[in-house]
Amino acid sequence: MHPILARLERLAAYLGLWCVIGVLVGAVLTRQGLTWPEALVQVLPPLLLYSFICLSAWYVCRAMPLATSGLPGVLTASVVAASVAGGLWLLLNESWLATLESMEALGPVTARFRAQTPLLLAISVILFLLVLSVHYVALAVEAFRDAERQQLELKVLTRDAELRALRAQIDPHFLYNSLNSISALTGTDPPAARQMCLLLAEFLRTTLRVSTQESITLADELTLADRFLSIEQVRFGQRLQVERRIDDGVAECRVPPLVLQPLLENAVAHGIAGLIDGGTIRLDITRRDGRVSISVENPRDPDALPRRGAGVGLDNVRRRLAIVFGGAARLDAIPGPEGFRVAIDLPCASDD
Amino acid sequence: MTDSPVPVRVAIVDDEPLARAVLREFLSSEPGVEVVAECANGFEAVKAVSELAPDLLLLDVQMPKLDGFEVLDLVGREVAVVFTTAYDQYALRAFDVHAVDYLLKPVSAERLSAALARVRERLGRGERFTPPATMAAARPAEGRANRVLVRDGARVHVIPVDKIDYVQAQDDYVCFRSEGKDYLKEQTLAETEEQLDPAAFVRIHRSYLLNLSRLARVDQDERENRVAVLTDGRRLPVSRAGYARLSERL
Repeated sequence: MHPILARLERLAAYLGLWCVIGVLVGAVLTRQGLTWPEALVQVLPPLLLYSFICLSAWYVCRAMPLATSGLPGVLTASVVAASVAGGLWLLLNESWLATLESMEALGPVTARFRAQTPLLLAISVILFLLVLSVHYVALAVEAFRDAERQQLELKVLTRDAELRALRAQIDPHFLYNSLNSISALTGTDPPAARQMCLLLAEFLRTTLRVSTQESITLADELTLADRFLSIEQVRFGQRLQVERRIDDGVAECRVPPLVLQPLLENAVAHGIAGLIDGGTIRLDITRRDGRVSISVENPRDPDALPRRGAGVGLDNVRRRLAIVFGGAARLDAIPGPEGFRVAIDLPCASDD
Repeated sequence: MTDSPVPVRVAIVDDEPLARAVLREFLSSEPGVEVVAECANGFEAVKAVSELAPDLLLLDVQMPKLDGFEVLDLVGREVAVVFTTAYDQYALRAFDVHAVDYLLKPVSAERLSAALARVRERLGRGERFTPPATMAAARPAEGRANRVLVRDGARVHVIPVDKIDYVQAQDDYVCFRSEGKDYLKEQTLAETEEQLDPAAFVRIHRSYLLNLSRLARVDQDERENRVAVLTDGRRLPVSRAGYARLSERL
């Protein structure tokens, strides 16, 4: 459907514009010796009918888009369309003049009218070309807006998809090893096996639940982290020790889900697991001036070869923080000779 | 001909006590199987192989200090190896180094039983386990080694690659020269060359692989033969082809 014909008010505005054009053309005719009433009577009726013919310019634009047709094609199409429009105008003009001639009272005037035909034909063709170019401009503006909107939609979509993908990363090897522990305990210590099953179930349930949320309280994140560490302590026994120093008042801070747990996972997999006698993971969370600082520090074997996948988890958290907070949050990985520390600093937003 | 199964003496190597426990439990119901050692890391595994000469190592891959592949590199000639790991991505490499089997955790009793049957079959035929020629495949898939492991009885020496001055071929062995000491390892110079970074080590002679950073200059002796003079004054022969490779690098 033509955009102007689709809405009545647009059509009214369009016809109004053509009336103004008609008056202007009439003014040109008064310069040729016609009186104002004569000029308007001659010009307006065929011109208003002609305005509907000019609407066809839109279909020319659609058939020959600027972007794909090239300048010669567009010019050719414009010339052909303008010639056809000019021919149609001639037909309209002739029938109008014939109608006027058939009226006794106006008969004598029509000879002077007829003399204006070449001038009016030229004006009509120029008007058609004008309408055509206005359509081209309008279509270009519309295409540009469309592209802009699509770009924006795409941005939002990729952001969402990325966030979803980044959240849903439970290391499958953590599961396999935990299940192997359960399998071992089933033979030697059934109550412990049951306990481990429950821990694992709680951990999975919480992870899946929070991973669909945009933010959770730090208290929830800490619960999740504790479950994770309890499971790993079953696997590593005395080799895994944890020391926590957590400020009062951080529990209510809202953070993106799963920012702390991957840090601990790294500390276990790349630190504790590489040490024959294990070691202690230090978790510090402090709150100051509306910001929270999270620090996870683990000892590591200075001679160890870097393990597969080192750094992937941290990159993941860093990218999520960047998406959610822009430049307002940061994650630093600080390698030391005998240990590794990761520090996150982010704004603390709370519900109250 | 008797129906009794071939006896197997097993060492379990895993840094997690529970992972060892489940294997021990499964093995306890296998006739003719004796668990002679439980090792929590690679060093203990090498020691156990030297002192107890087990027939089979059940070997975890990711462990502190020495990983499973490094342990196999050190002892694989004397013992059958079955890997047990939660990671499936090492399976191809395990196949390359002729591991008898590859068990994924959680391990099932049936899979372990099947692996044991394969070990018994090979033991029954009196087969040696890992042919020396494949040992170089035990290198990390990620790239060149940054350390060399040499076994000295029950002890394991870990030599960082940048501490190696040169490597010399000696019959069936190569000798790593590092910080004034020599370390012998049973492998060929070609395999050693394969393991080390070609940007750092150049084969200057049929019998010598030189760490480029130790080279002070190249001299000619009284019989017009070229000689590499090292930073510590030691002189190594340079062959014609070796000189060509050296010039290419300098």
